[in-house]
Amino acid sequence: MKLILRVKNMTKDYGHQRGVFDLSFGVESGEVMGFLGPNGAGKTTTIRTLMGFIQPDHGRVSIKGRDCFRCAAEIQQDVGYLPGEIAFMDDMDGMEFIRFIAAMKKMPSLERAQELLNYFELEPKGRIKKMSKGMKQKIGLVCALMNQPEILILDEPTSGLDPLMQKKFVDLIQEEKRKGTTILMSSHLFEEVEQTCDRVVIIKEGRQIAVEKMDELNKNHQRILILKFRRASEAAEFAARVPNAQTDGKHVTLKTAGSLDAILKLAAHYEVEDLETHRQTLEDLFLHYYGKENHA
Amino acid sequence: MSLPLLRRELRANYKMILLFTAVITLYSTVIIAMYDPKLGASLNMMAESMPELFAAFGMTNAGATMLEFIINYLYGFILVVIPMLCLLLIAGRLVVRYVDQGSMAYLLATPNTRGTIIRTQILFLVLCTLFLVIYSSGLGLIASEMLFPGELDVSHYLLVNAGLLCLHLFLGGMCFFFSSVFSEQKKAYGCAGGCLVAFLLIQMLSQVSKQLEGLRLLTPLTLFQAKELAMESSEALMMAGCLAILGVILYIAAAQIFRRRNLSL
Repeated sequence: MKLILRVKNMTKDYGHQRGVFDLSFGVESGEVMGFLGPNGAGKTTTIRTLMGFIQPDHGRVSIKGRDCFRCAAEIQQDVGYLPGEIAFMDDMDGMEFIRFIAAMKKMPSLERAQELLNYFELEPKGRIKKMSKGMKQKIGLVCALMNQPEILILDEPTSGLDPLMQKKFVDLIQEEKRKGTTILMSSHLFEEVEQTCDRVVIIKEGRQIAVEKMDELNKNHQRILILKFRRASEAAEFAARVPNAQTDGKHVTLKTAGSLDAILKLAAHYEVEDLETHRQTLEDLFLHYYGKENHA
Repeated sequence: MSLPLLRRELRANYKMILLFTAVITLYSTVIIAMYDPKLGASLNMMAESMPELFAAFGMTNAGATMLEFIINYLYGFILVVIPMLCLLLIAGRLVVRYVDQGSMAYLLATPNTRGTIIRTQILFLVLCTLFLVIYSSGLGLIASEMLFPGELDVSHYLLVNAGLLCLHLFLGGMCFFFSSVFSEQKKAYGCAGGCLVAFLLIQMLSQVSKQLEGLRLLTPLTLFQAKELAMESSEALMMAGCLAILGVILYIAAAQIFRRRNLSL
């Protein structure tokens, strides 16, 4: 597969352990890559180098084989970008801003912009200054997507969107993916990348922890199940038959990865009053990888 | 050069430019209306009663001719300071404000090079400079001809204004330079504003007393010699030329640095 977007041994050191260190990954044509890490991990720094805003201290960052800093303007012809921090020209109204960016992008028509506005149910009238965070985020998304770029770089795209809009966003990304758009999107929430991405780069404190296929990650991604049985005796009996289970009166807590089939079928033999599932947190996921590193 | 960006800047800044032109209009017409060949004497008397204060603002004597009068009361302070403030504010809004707020990210996320963007902003500030100087000199010319037909030595008046343009090209270039190299508005406005205030204070001090006259070498405002320009002094012309060249150098340096620097957007 052809690598569209490539980060090779990239280091950008801001001192005091801040920055990114020796990052290497590539995004293939048509692939949706998640870029996962807690706040301050260096996601935005990496994206800034991809956008040509900053130059790495070492290593190479390229899009379609062109250096991201030197060829920034050429690269922008193919890229749609959503900044992590929302900052428009706040003296403009929403539509004015969209028109202005469209003109800067030399777009012949606003047709797609209008489609996107309708899709996000956005009325971009009124001063940007007075808009809610969610509205601004939608305007940012419209600006990123309206020129139908073949590459999308999205920095925390769903921040500020309500759950309904987050769902619409996920649908939109899946539609873009069907069109063959190459996407890199950063997030600090596992759930966000889970629904859209093919692969994930995980970074922490500026260092790359893993590049994994989403399927692979899901396989290892543990779920926490809490079952409540009718009687404590049932709980104890059930807990004895499954690995990694802990009992607390009528409750059984267990960690599991992969299919739930066996556990559910076993639980069905008893009287189950309640079932809760929790996703492993990003921190737990990191622990998992750190753990692996330590064993190696 | 990007036309949409230029159009946006015009929209975003025209109100401020109009405000400053209104102030210039007010001051210039009032001062020109005050000119009276006979009144010159009484103004001189006033100047003599408070010589330091008048000297600080470059108003040493009311002069015998209309041109001398205008140079004294407009070109010593008012037409230096008012356009200077306007250029300071606009220069900040053209670059560092976008970088500080982060909206520069949107400009650079379009297929325009940093060179194109910064050249457009330079063009806009130079157009502002041209507008302010041409407006104020045109206004002065019209007001003079209407109120005192034939009194003004027009060709030398225009020469003084050419010098003023050079001065403002330099001052605008300096403000733009600070706007392009800093990431924070605070720092850019602080440095540019600080320099401008220092230039003015040093000039005022140097004009107050003979002992402090040497200070004039420390401020670039000295390179604008309105009285000598009116007399076609070749030295004054060369000094004005220096200002223009310094201005161009500052603009070029600003663009070169902006193209290469890291922008935390």
